[in-house]
Amino acid sequence: MSLLRRRLRNSTTVVRRCKLAMYTDPDKRCDLPDLIGYIKEGDCLAIGGGLSWREPMAALRELIRQGTGNLRLVGSAHGIDVDLLCGAGCVASSSESYVGFEQDFGMAPNYRRACESGSVQVQDSCCYTVVQQLRAAIAGLPFMPVRSIRGTSFMQLHPEYRSMNCPFTHDELVLVPALRPDVAIIHAQYGDSHGNLHIDGPPVADILFAKAAKTVLATVEKLLPTEELSKMGVTIPFFYITALTEVRYGAHPTACYPFYAYDRRHTAQYYQLASESTEAFSDGYLQPYVYTCRSHGDYLEAIGGEAYMQRLASWQESNSAWIALYE
Amino acid sequence: MNKSLPTQCTLGEALIYQIALTIEDGTLAFHGFGSPLVQAALHLAKHTHAPNMVLVAGATYGVNPKPSFLTPTSNDWSMNRAAECHLDIEELFDLAASGRMGRMFLSGLQIDAYGNLNVTQLGQKSLRLKLPGGGGGCNLSCDVEHVTIWTAAHRAITDPKGRRLFRLVDHCDFITSVGHRTNDGKTRAEMGYRGFGPDALITELGVFDFDDSGHARLTSTYPDTDINAVRDNTDFEFPISENLTAIPLPNPEMVEFIRHLDPLRIHERELKHAELHRHFCLD
Repeated sequence: MSLLRRRLRNSTTVVRRCKLAMYTDPDKRCDLPDLIGYIKEGDCLAIGGGLSWREPMAALRELIRQGTGNLRLVGSAHGIDVDLLCGAGCVASSSESYVGFEQDFGMAPNYRRACESGSVQVQDSCCYTVVQQLRAAIAGLPFMPVRSIRGTSFMQLHPEYRSMNCPFTHDELVLVPALRPDVAIIHAQYGDSHGNLHIDGPPVADILFAKAAKTVLATVEKLLPTEELSKMGVTIPFFYITALTEVRYGAHPTACYPFYAYDRRHTAQYYQLASESTEAFSDGYLQPYVYTCRSHGDYLEAIGGEAYMQRLASWQESNSAWIALYE
Repeated sequence: MNKSLPTQCTLGEALIYQIALTIEDGTLAFHGFGSPLVQAALHLAKHTHAPNMVLVAGATYGVNPKPSFLTPTSNDWSMNRAAECHLDIEELFDLAASGRMGRMFLSGLQIDAYGNLNVTQLGQKSLRLKLPGGGGGCNLSCDVEHVTIWTAAHRAITDPKGRRLFRLVDHCDFITSVGHRTNDGKTRAEMGYRGFGPDALITELGVFDFDDSGHARLTSTYPDTDINAVRDNTDFEFPISENLTAIPLPNPEMVEFIRHLDPLRIHERELKHAELHRHFCLD
C-alpha cells in the first residue's frame, strides 16, 4: 500500500457523512500506479470525458496493466476508452449510452465483439437517465423521476426502474435509482496538489461524476500552485477528489485542447487492428502500447515521443494546419 | 462573381437542405453527435431562414457556435468555436424535459412506420449485432417538442443469402426512441409525453411527413427517384400525399455555404458509396 493511501486510510481528515467522503488531505499527489490502485476488481467505474475528448487514457492503460477486471462501466457517450477496456477483457457490463467512433470509424469493434459474445453484459442507458441517477446520488436521495423511458425497450433492459403516478398531477413517471459509482476517473487540463481541478472546455458529465462517486481519481496535464488555479476558476473543488497525478499527454489519443488535438492517425491504426480480430488487437496494439510499456513515459516513446506530440499541438497555427490533422 | 457559383448540388447537399427546412426560426434546436448531415443543416438554417434559432451543438453543448470546419468527431473544439455560451449536460436535458427544446434530430438502423427507432441492438430474441447506442435519444424523443428523423441509408441492401435488409422496417427489434405509437399501440397522448413526436422523415430516396394516425406518409421524391423506388426499399406500406412533389433544391449560395463549412466532406460519410454519384442540376 502506498504512503498516500495509508495516510488517507489513517487520516482523520476523511470524514464519512451520508455515505460519501470528504477528502481534505492537503497533498493528494501520487504516482500513476498508486492512483490506479484505488480501483478494485468489480468496481462500478465512471469514466470522464466524452467521445474523443479528454478521456483518461493513460489511467486506463495503467488499469489494464494492473489487471483489474470485472468492471461495471456507467456513463454517457464514449468511444476508444470503453473499447480499449473491452479489448483488454476488463469489463463485465456496460451501461454507457453510446460506445462508438461516430462518423470517423463507426462501430467500436472490441466493445461490439464483447457484447455479442456475452462477455460484456449489455445494460445500455440514456444520457438524461444517467444524469437523473447521478443527481439523486448528489442530492442524497434514493431516486429521481423522469417522464421519459416509458414505451422504450429500456424498461425491459432495466428491471430496477419503477413506475409511479405523481401524487400531485397523477402523471405516470419512471423512477430511476441513485447512481453512486465506486470510482470516477477524470482527466483535466489543470489541477493543484490539494486536488482542485480546472477543466477547460466541455466538462461533459465529469462534475456530476465527481460529486456522485465514492472515490474520485484525476490525472492532469499540469499541476499549478493553488493561487494560480483558483484564478482560472475551480471546476471541481478539492474535497471531492481522492488523489491525483500529473500525467502530461494523459488523454492521448483523444484530444486535450488546448494542448493537443485528437490523434486521428493513431486512432485509425487502433481501429484497423481492433476490427481485424481480438488476436490482431492484442498482438498489434495491446502488446506494444500497453503491456510492454511499464509507464506512461514508455508509451510516449512508443508512439514517437515529444516530436510526434508536437504535431498534435499544431492545430493552433492555422485553420489549414488544424484541418490537416483530420486528413 | 456568379461564374464561380455551383450549378449542381450533390445528394448530401440536397439532404442537408431538406433537414434544414424542418427547422423553424426562433426555436431551440439541438443536434446530437455522429450526425454531420444534421450539424450542417442547423448551420445552413441559421445562415438562411432561421437566424434566431438557438443552435445547440451536440457533445460540446456550445450555443450558437461558428465551427471552423466540420470534424468527424463531435466533441471537438472546432465544433464549438466562437460559441456564445455553453450548457451543462444536465441543463441541456432539463431544457427538453421542461418543454423549452423545440427540435431534435434522430436516426436509426431500424426505423418503423410510426417513427420508433433502434440504434441499440439487432436481434429480437438474442443479440445479433450490438449497435453503438442511442446517446440521449430515448429521453429526448419523449420530451422535445418536434423531432426530425433522417437516414441516408434508406435503400435496402441484399445480404449474401439473398435476404433484403431494410432500414425502414415493419418492426424494430429494440425501441431506443419513441415515435407516434408504442409497440402495444398506445399514442403519445395516452403515454403523456411532452413533445409532439416526429413530423418529418427524410431519406436519400424521399421525404415523409406523419399523418393524423402518426403513420409515415410520402410527400416528396428526388429528381432521380419515384414512388416505386421508395416502395421497393421500404418494408412497410405507406400512404402517399395527394400533393406529392419533387424535393426543393438549395440555391447556389447555400451549396457554397455547405462546401465552405465542410471542406473535409464529413457529411458524405453518412452516405453509401453507391449514392455518391447522385447530383442534381440547380436551375
